[in-house]
Amino acid sequence: MCAIAAPEIFGSDDIGNATILIEGDIPADLEAKARRAEGNCPERAIEIVA
Amino acid sequence: MKQDTEYDIFDHDFVWNPFPAFDRVRESDCPIVHSDKWGGSWMPTRYEDIVAIAQEHEVFTSREIIVVPPPPGQLEGPYGGVKAPPITSDPPDHHWHRRAILPVFSPQSVATYEQGMRDFCNGLIDGFIDKGRADAAADYAQRIPVNVIARMLGVPVEMSDTFTEWVRGALEVGLTNPELRRANRLKIIEFFVGQINDRKAHPRKDDLITDLLVLRVDGEPAPLEYVIGVCNLMLVAGIDTTWSAIGSSLWHLAGHPEHRAQLRDNPDLWPTAIEEFLRAYAPVTMARIVDRDIEFQGCPMKAGDRVLMTFPAANRDPRQFEHPDEVILDRQNNRHVAFGAGIHRCAGSNLARLELKVALQTWMERIPEFSLVDPTAVTWAGGQVRGPRQCQVAF
Repeated sequence: MCAIAAPEIFGSDDIGNATILIEGDIPADLEAKARRAEGNCPERAIEIVA
Repeated sequence: MKQDTEYDIFDHDFVWNPFPAFDRVRESDCPIVHSDKWGGSWMPTRYEDIVAIAQEHEVFTSREIIVVPPPPGQLEGPYGGVKAPPITSDPPDHHWHRRAILPVFSPQSVATYEQGMRDFCNGLIDGFIDKGRADAAADYAQRIPVNVIARMLGVPVEMSDTFTEWVRGALEVGLTNPELRRANRLKIIEFFVGQINDRKAHPRKDDLITDLLVLRVDGEPAPLEYVIGVCNLMLVAGIDTTWSAIGSSLWHLAGHPEHRAQLRDNPDLWPTAIEEFLRAYAPVTMARIVDRDIEFQGCPMKAGDRVLMTFPAANRDPRQFEHPDEVILDRQNNRHVAFGAGIHRCAGSNLARLELKVALQTWMERIPEFSLVDPTAVTWAGGQVRGPRQCQVAF
């Protein structure tokens, strides 16, 4: 789900588990997409801090 | 408190529209109810409770996952041990049972089927577009997932109608008819035993059954029961679930011209729209078996009790979703549980999402305007999987 909401930030590995594609802070222009990924993760696995 | 409301998951009115009953229970003092019907079960209705049950897999086990108990005799005979891994597996075996099949369902893997799906959908529409009407469920939705699953497994697509009949016998009509259920389960198993033997005699490449046969677990071939079980799962979990989701979405669109217009005017809405259809019309209810006597949210559950994970009820909980009964195509926060949650969350969700997207987009491109011929003539199936089975539309 996160890879659909924010493909610049999240990818998926060969078994479909989520991976993080960027290092460090999320660029400002991707913040809205990151929040959508957070708000749509059914496992509540994403938390945006600060 | 144990409150026997005697709900009936196969009751005609409940199958046609379960949401008022879910709302009544969810907003009562007792949001988890019990019924003695169909072998007995507990039915939670709140999002938080259903997610908690999904996550507490040590207490709420997957020994049985069908909403009614198995028919007498199913656990006996040469194939009595065949289940549907990994959905029927508990840890520790669950881990390798699931790990082994995840690669075929990764976004990258399922994407290789997209063009074939689109061509197949267009072919179906070619067959009825000049008639000005079609059954959106039986002539379209029902035919799409079985074609994809047959191609993944490497079994004849010409047998699609037979596979559909078997799945309905084992999982839909069969749930209220034990003999039919048992017979169709055996037909599925015997078919796959034949397919497996054929591959052993004549090795092939590039199909899931072959992948399962060459799979090694701790250096040994995977047990035959596992291989048959996964094939069984591909049919019973991969066909009527997705077809029900496609059918419900088309049924919704047939009755909502404003949503058809929205999707036409703003194709960027598709990703959130797909999730919203999945939320509002989640097809699947799974069961769990309680491992030991516990009290859950005040309910005295006994070891062996069946608990229904009513994902369709969770997805309409106003504590989790604003305006839960409204379909909002650009809903921004949508933690729906149409695919479940926890370690058993649907392994095929990437495939299901792709099928839903391709099926709905292709239909809307070719048939942008359509409506129900007679809303009262639409028929629904329910129990384990809810969706329209006859849905005549005119265009």
